[in-house]
Amino acid sequence: MRLSRTFRHGGIRVELDLEWERRGPVQNSFLPNSAVILLKQHAGRQARCVVRRGEYVREGMVIGRADGYLSANVHSSIPGVVRDIRVVALPEGGQAEAVVVALEGSFERLGRKGERYLWKSMGRNELLSSIKDKGVVDTEAPGMPLFDLLGERRDIDLLAINAVESEPYLRAEACLLEDKSAEIMEGIAILSRILSPKRTVIATSRSDVPSLAPASDGEGQVECIALLARYPQDMRRQLLEAIDVSSKASEEEAILLRPSTVFAVYEAVVLAKPMVERYVSIGGGALKRPAVLKARIGTPIGDLIEECGGFLGPPTRLVLRGILRGNSVYDLDAPITKTTSAVIALDAKEVGSLQKTPCIRCGRCAEVCPERLDPELLFRLIERNMRARAAELGLGFCTACGSCSYICPSRVPLVAAFSAESRLQAKERALGEMPK
Amino acid sequence: MGDAPFSFYKRTSASLMWGTAAALLPALGWGIYCFGNSAVLSVAASIIGALAGETIVSGIRRRFTLWDGSAFLTGLLVGMAMPAGISPLIPAIASLFAVSVIKGAFGGLGSNWMNPALGGIAFAIINWPSEMSAWTVPRQLAGLASISGATPLGFDLAHAGSALAGSNPIDLLTAGGMRFTSLDASVTETLNKILFSHIGAELPGGYVDLLIGNKPGALGELSALLILAASIFIISRRFVRWEIPASIVTTFALLTWTFGGLPFGNGFFAGDMLFSIFSGSFLIVTFFMAPDPVTSPSSLIGMSIYGMGIGALIFLFRSFGLSAEGSAFAVILMNCVVPALSKLDIAASRRRATKALIEGGNVRGGQ
Repeated sequence: MRLSRTFRHGGIRVELDLEWERRGPVQNSFLPNSAVILLKQHAGRQARCVVRRGEYVREGMVIGRADGYLSANVHSSIPGVVRDIRVVALPEGGQAEAVVVALEGSFERLGRKGERYLWKSMGRNELLSSIKDKGVVDTEAPGMPLFDLLGERRDIDLLAINAVESEPYLRAEACLLEDKSAEIMEGIAILSRILSPKRTVIATSRSDVPSLAPASDGEGQVECIALLARYPQDMRRQLLEAIDVSSKASEEEAILLRPSTVFAVYEAVVLAKPMVERYVSIGGGALKRPAVLKARIGTPIGDLIEECGGFLGPPTRLVLRGILRGNSVYDLDAPITKTTSAVIALDAKEVGSLQKTPCIRCGRCAEVCPERLDPELLFRLIERNMRARAAELGLGFCTACGSCSYICPSRVPLVAAFSAESRLQAKERALGEMPK
Repeated sequence: MGDAPFSFYKRTSASLMWGTAAALLPALGWGIYCFGNSAVLSVAASIIGALAGETIVSGIRRRFTLWDGSAFLTGLLVGMAMPAGISPLIPAIASLFAVSVIKGAFGGLGSNWMNPALGGIAFAIINWPSEMSAWTVPRQLAGLASISGATPLGFDLAHAGSALAGSNPIDLLTAGGMRFTSLDASVTETLNKILFSHIGAELPGGYVDLLIGNKPGALGELSALLILAASIFIISRRFVRWEIPASIVTTFALLTWTFGGLPFGNGFFAGDMLFSIFSGSFLIVTFFMAPDPVTSPSSLIGMSIYGMGIGALIFLFRSFGLSAEGSAFAVILMNCVVPALSKLDIAASRRRATKALIEGGNVRGGQ
């Protein structure tokens, strides 16, 4: 075994946020006075709204029904009255409808010990349909509905629980794994029933792997592997490489899920609870007291920031999900969704200089590229509209991890250009045109 | 959307330039100690010339670039290659030419094909050959009999034909009137006593003076020791890549060892590598100018060939050339080859892409 397991090529070390101490268990955040629940928190089409303005909704009630390709059910996270149904801009681009629920009435679930469903007597299809019904999506962007992700898969080679957090300020998954290890183990058992994996691995980025109870139904052993927190260790190919998945066939036959997804599966199946809350990591240099909070879906990020003591000074940038692959928001009313793993308020020092200067061909981008591409060359080709040439030189392998842009001393917008080009090529493929 | 990442590695191109310039300050300090005010004057004139050039280009291109450090570094490097006591107009004009024509005319930082500092130095050598080889003797050698008007390297190259069989470059210098400092004698003696005697070797006198910089020469290039220290600094901080200097030093040392003994009648494999490496501008050119990322290739094979070319050309120019100072021209000539070598960079990139396609094409693109 290697001393420090990690991927083979490239990668960066992000020197931010090095000291953080956990202060006690994760707290529930305050309930929002009004929750903005997006009807598109998943990869595919927006859910169809099934409530009307002025209607009373209970906690956990369906307010949006899965509607078409890669769509998922959306539930109300709080009890209350539908105040408004309006179109809002999404942080990742585009727009979607949102249901605004004003808190009112009582909680039926809160404080009560719910009934436990005996899932072991349930069949595969029954398990899958309860996952679908409760609106469980992969908590990693873009939020693939779990039913669509797992439905066709069986007898896979590897089920990997990806608790690796290699970006600064992300720690929700590690906290969840620590707090809810028994529940997550049961979730793994449920997933094992559905997928029958040959091998199950929990990959963490911390050496102190929480002590985990063995999978409750004895369907195979669960391995725990600690990996170096070098970025982008949490991405698919880098993770598989680090846990010694060598053959191409095995790599294809692997499913990676976040602990939060597994926990949502547990809640959906065992507690019949829809996906209405999640662990959110709140951090950044502009924040007074970084913390991990358990927040209701639809809570405005401003509420969570206030609960963490507010800002130390004016934040330079607000970022969701991570500073290397996330999205920026300009609005404290932006709501938490099923995929919002983190809210980060960066100060001016952390953002640093954005001054773009000419490329000096230092070659750092190629050194850090985990896919062994030459970002500088690809960027020049795109700039000169030699797009077919760029595709030939491996542009399609770019995973948009952002390592090249992070390291570039000239602040050349490398990954932005690659993402735009990938989107363009996908569009052209969809239109059946060949790129010139 | 699409504007991640939101935080960056703190190093910028400007901090890279200023950092490299800072690394050179100890070597410059030694030059100022040796030559006093005349050294300050030359370097200041050179930097002012470079900054003036940058200001002119900034004005024409309407983009203010004075603080990116690039012009300052060029001015510093040109200034450090000057003999002390030279008319300050020469470094000023050379730097002005370097920054405005060699860099500015090709589109500014990142677009020039020739290293600007080397271009400026070459400009000065071609324009003012006698001024550029009028070397002054450092103050600590003032009391000693010393070869005047020549660097140790230049003197040896000029007199190699008259060398006695079995002698070496240092013997030739001694025969020519060069005397070494008492520091050299005592350090050599100590080193021999505590280090070399154990491995059955003996360090002859003279090398310590060469290393420290007790010799005539360009005001910033005297102290091989301080330039080596600066090189270690810039490589460990990854300001430049190590591959190019490694390739140059290896090639040059091997060629010197193999053929460098011939002019002295010593046959093959008897060249004096230490003398060649520690003398002239070899070290500063190898570590501070040749690996300039803008004007060098980026793939391992490209860097190796580029470095080998420079090492071989320096050896050739030093052995057969008119001027003792071949290093600058060697790098400039290899700069010309970089566009061809960049085809190798592209080929390397293509090989990686094809390999990835074969090995794991279907892995990518999610679940």
